[in-house]
Amino acid sequence: MNAIEVRELRRVYKTVIGVIRRRTKEVVAVDGISFDVRRGELFGLLGPNGAGKTTTIKMLTTLLIPSSGTAHVLGQDIVTQANEIRARIGFIFGGERGLYWRLSGIDNLRYFASLYHVDPDHTRDHIPYLLDLVGLTDRGQEKVEGYSRGMKQRLHIARTLLHDPEVLFLDEPTMGLDPVGARELRQVVRDLQAEKKTILLTTHYMFEADALCERIGVIDNGKIVALDTPRALKNLVSDLSVIELEVFGVPEGLLEQIRNLPFVDTLSVEDQDQKQSLHVHTAMGSEAVPQLLGVLDSVRVGRVVVREPTLEDAYVRLVGGKG
Amino acid sequence: MTRKWVAYSRAALTAFEMSLRQNIMDGFIIFTVLIQPLLIALLALWMLRAESGDQAIFVVVGSGMTGLWSSLLFISGNSITGERWSGTLEILVGQPTPLPVIVFGKNLAHVTQSLGSMIIAFLLSSVFFSFHLEVQQPLLFVLSILLTVIAFVSFGLIIAPVFIMNPGVQGWQNAMEFPVYILSGFLFPIALLPDWTTPFSYILSPYWAARALHGATTPGGTASDILFSLAMLVLFSLIYLLISSYLFRKMLMKTREDATLGFQ
Repeated sequence: MNAIEVRELRRVYKTVIGVIRRRTKEVVAVDGISFDVRRGELFGLLGPNGAGKTTTIKMLTTLLIPSSGTAHVLGQDIVTQANEIRARIGFIFGGERGLYWRLSGIDNLRYFASLYHVDPDHTRDHIPYLLDLVGLTDRGQEKVEGYSRGMKQRLHIARTLLHDPEVLFLDEPTMGLDPVGARELRQVVRDLQAEKKTILLTTHYMFEADALCERIGVIDNGKIVALDTPRALKNLVSDLSVIELEVFGVPEGLLEQIRNLPFVDTLSVEDQDQKQSLHVHTAMGSEAVPQLLGVLDSVRVGRVVVREPTLEDAYVRLVGGKG
Repeated sequence: MTRKWVAYSRAALTAFEMSLRQNIMDGFIIFTVLIQPLLIALLALWMLRAESGDQAIFVVVGSGMTGLWSSLLFISGNSITGERWSGTLEILVGQPTPLPVIVFGKNLAHVTQSLGSMIIAFLLSSVFFSFHLEVQQPLLFVLSILLTVIAFVSFGLIIAPVFIMNPGVQGWQNAMEFPVYILSGFLFPIALLPDWTTPFSYILSPYWAARALHGATTPGGTASDILFSLAMLVLFSLIYLLISSYLFRKMLMKTREDATLGFQ
């Protein structure tokens, strides 16, 4: 049985622009997506910023009403049976907000436990376990305002587990965390997966999706452009190689020339201070390197690497180099 | 059903406790609940210093009520907007306890703590101005205090969703503070106001609260008049609860449709 069923879900935001001549502008955030998440599955929604990941999660957690389409969580309709769903799910949104900073970590958990109707005796016993699970045992008595970003994120995880939800929605849970904090949080997610919780995770970190998710839906411009296992998604680019070129001050005109080369499948550019890292996807492999260097003759080129494609490369191909 | 209400009561009590814990360190709240009513009491008692002490209890109760109203208007009014800014409103809406139950607990904390203004005014009056203060009808006074708290909490349940749905109205908070002091007769009887203002006073539960509390504390208040005021207080509390139930439903639907539960 599926824990989540989404059919043709669509959400349009309306904003008013202008002061004197006011006009309503419509932005389609989610454009008719459909997918299922099986019970006990860790499903990832992967996409660039503004792709529609958070909007999808907000609709599934009953915080936003869809413009059209339907979705069911644990068999309940997200619009008409919102209250029934709320008691059985947990959710966190990325970032530091959503906690009471002037209360201690323990008081935050006590408060939310009462709102989820958790028995006070159970809360008393359960909070130390949850604090231990997220590594906050020593800091639980302190006010949240003194917590680091990673600690707040981990407190959010503890909050969302208070009522032992059947389905968890984790919206970019490692966003803004340092590498150690992010790794610890991923371990917590793995532990939850081991407990057979159904988890819908959004992220734009490829390695995170690759390492954690059983299946991934790639979302771009509000549409799901691919949905499969990480391995199958990587196979989408198995015919390609990736050439990484480190360049310094490459003008936009040269990038356009590279994009137009017949053997170039996609090109993505990553700015790193003074230099740029070009990722060229091509079926030609290392044979393409001399031609690329020929185009880049007028700029300084550093390291050149030819490698096998990863999930990130599959993603770049799917979303057209915007990630 | 009973289990559900036990859970709701527990949630409201925890909201009450957590609000008190947070408010105790908030400078704005301390000013609204303690300092401002203290200044009002000081001013009124200074004006009365040459008089006999009969009116002092009127000032104590009245200045205390100014603290109740300011607390309700600013702290309760802002509390949901504050939750929205801090990102907790989405979490409060996305859990199984209805939002009005949580706001009830929070408002109860705000109104209860603002009773401290009445105690401060009492101490100021008796210690610094040496007025002899005597509550004429103690039992009715206690009952009036209890029903006043409930009435103010109910009133707060209307203010919060209105402010969320109409952020422009919140800009009028300051303008709403003193008219209610005046129309409700906190510091002087409404008989001193023009007749055309009386209907406005009658639809405000703070007016009936002030009338009951002044009646129970000052000489001349009759039990029948106090009980009538308390009945009106209960009636208006019920009306406010009905209106707030509708407003909360409308607000929650509107914010879920307009995507305004939180800020990105």
